[in-house]
Amino acid sequence: MPSNKILITIDGVELKVSNLDKVFYAESGFTKGQVIDYYIRIAPALLPHLEGRPLTLKRYPNGAASNFFYQKECPASRPKWLPTVPVWSERNKRAVNFCLVENLPALVWAANLAALELHTSLSLADNIMRPTMLVFDLDPGPPATIIECTQVALCLRDFFNRLNLQSFPKTSGSKGLQVYVPLNTKTSYDQTKHFAHTLAKMLESKHPALIVSNMRKNLRTGKVFVDWSQNDDHKTTVCVYSMRARALPTVSTPVTWDEVETAYETKNAQSLIFTSDQVLERFSRLGDLFQPVLTLKQHLPKLDSKSDC
Amino acid sequence: MPRPMWSGSISFGLVNIPIKLYSTVKRKSLQFHQLRRGDGCRIRLKKVCSADNSEVANEDIVKGYEISPDRYVIVSPDELEALYPKASRSIEIEDFVLLEQIDPIYFEQSYYLVPDKGAGKAYSLLLEAMRQSQKVAVAKMVLRNKQHLTTIRPNGRALTLSTMHFADEIVSQDQLDDLPAEDNKPEKRELAVALQLVESLSSDFNPAKYHDEYRDKVLEMIEKKAEGQDLVTQQPIAEPGAKVIDLMAALEASLSALKKNPAKPPPKSAKPRRKKASAQ
Repeated sequence: MPSNKILITIDGVELKVSNLDKVFYAESGFTKGQVIDYYIRIAPALLPHLEGRPLTLKRYPNGAASNFFYQKECPASRPKWLPTVPVWSERNKRAVNFCLVENLPALVWAANLAALELHTSLSLADNIMRPTMLVFDLDPGPPATIIECTQVALCLRDFFNRLNLQSFPKTSGSKGLQVYVPLNTKTSYDQTKHFAHTLAKMLESKHPALIVSNMRKNLRTGKVFVDWSQNDDHKTTVCVYSMRARALPTVSTPVTWDEVETAYETKNAQSLIFTSDQVLERFSRLGDLFQPVLTLKQHLPKLDSKSDC
Repeated sequence: MPRPMWSGSISFGLVNIPIKLYSTVKRKSLQFHQLRRGDGCRIRLKKVCSADNSEVANEDIVKGYEISPDRYVIVSPDELEALYPKASRSIEIEDFVLLEQIDPIYFEQSYYLVPDKGAGKAYSLLLEAMRQSQKVAVAKMVLRNKQHLTTIRPNGRALTLSTMHFADEIVSQDQLDDLPAEDNKPEKRELAVALQLVESLSSDFNPAKYHDEYRDKVLEMIEKKAEGQDLVTQQPIAEPGAKVIDLMAALEASLSALKKNPAKPPPKSAKPRRKKASAQ
């Protein structure tokens, strides 16, 4: 087996990348080289979403079907120029130094570590206790699929529309859908988590056959779990444009509400599954559909019992 | 002092010699643990259903004997227990034979037999009788619910028991197709040379002379690593070759896109600029 390490130079920075021929997605023969190639090409869309956010690397050294581990502490072997940011971890009673991946060389470095999945904090490192967005992670319990998720997502969209708030859907790249509400204004995790939990319970009481807000897996069968608990300073959520370790090289992909509606009406789950090539093509055609999540300033509304969906 | 692993008695004619059984071997093979790469978390194995991946509790696991592909007969512990050989505590000597009549292929595991309280005299008697007769005892015993054929022989100051394979467990040489035929006699001259070579390498068997060199090397490596020496072997760096082209094209495209709309300055100016992010 050749080691096939190569040295590449990006903006005057030298980086070693290795094992480019190693197959990372067995079913389609997608290699580590192709993973790095994807991350390089998607960088213009992806980097703004990583900027300033403590990053958790989910590493798959032997490909998507093999063992993985979460790396929060930025590895000591990182390049000298790669910035890190200390975030106090109450559980570990020490500061964890997260990687900040904010430019192309850093992204290539992470991809070369087989960090297939990039999981980001909902806050910026500068203000770690202030989430810049509200997230609903819609996770279908089989036999429910992403189609049931579209119904719940549309419900959330309508709810926020009535409050004159914009929301943005993306696929998880795995089984479900995620709905993001940009905030970028003063708030706290206490507020966003409470809001998300209350709304999830409300949706559950309106649609008990479709929605569950309790985390227990055995309650989820055939329903959609509205995961409100991601709105937490300890949690990370898969970043938009991150690849996922599934059978195919799928990506957490921003979609339009029209696409969600069409998928719901046609019951076509396949229409909401995107692999890396499709995502690159979409980006060149549609631009970054998730750009407003970074900039749009909206205020977390007050919840009252009259809110409906 | 090692711990006995079994106790019972040798029955030899009308004499009964209470003994304890000790292992003769300390296994020295190296044991590694499985850890998660990165954080060193120990790996635990789970028993799961191969169909739906759900974990199966030990009390829900039964024994099945596959009588034909995918057809199993379930056997309960009670059913098996009813068939166990009688839990006898006795090693019954059946014959005395010459050791050289037993091919080493039959030997399985060896144990020391040590006399239990008050049995020293009878034990010494059996040991001495076997030394003088130059014969070894063939005996049957039950160890861990399994009937064993064994030999007992004098070995220095101790009687040593070896469990043995039954004859029908030994693979017949008739099943090996590529063995040369019996009448395939070598040439006299060649045989003479071979015999000379054997003669020149002949010596007495000295087991202490041989070591597991692999184990020694692995241990040495581990000790060095433990002292903090870096022994990670460097892989040669291949010359940039044909493989590069795709990545280079990708890099150029992304770099020019990023320059038009810079996300971040290049790393030259990217210094760790953030102070501690506050959180409790």
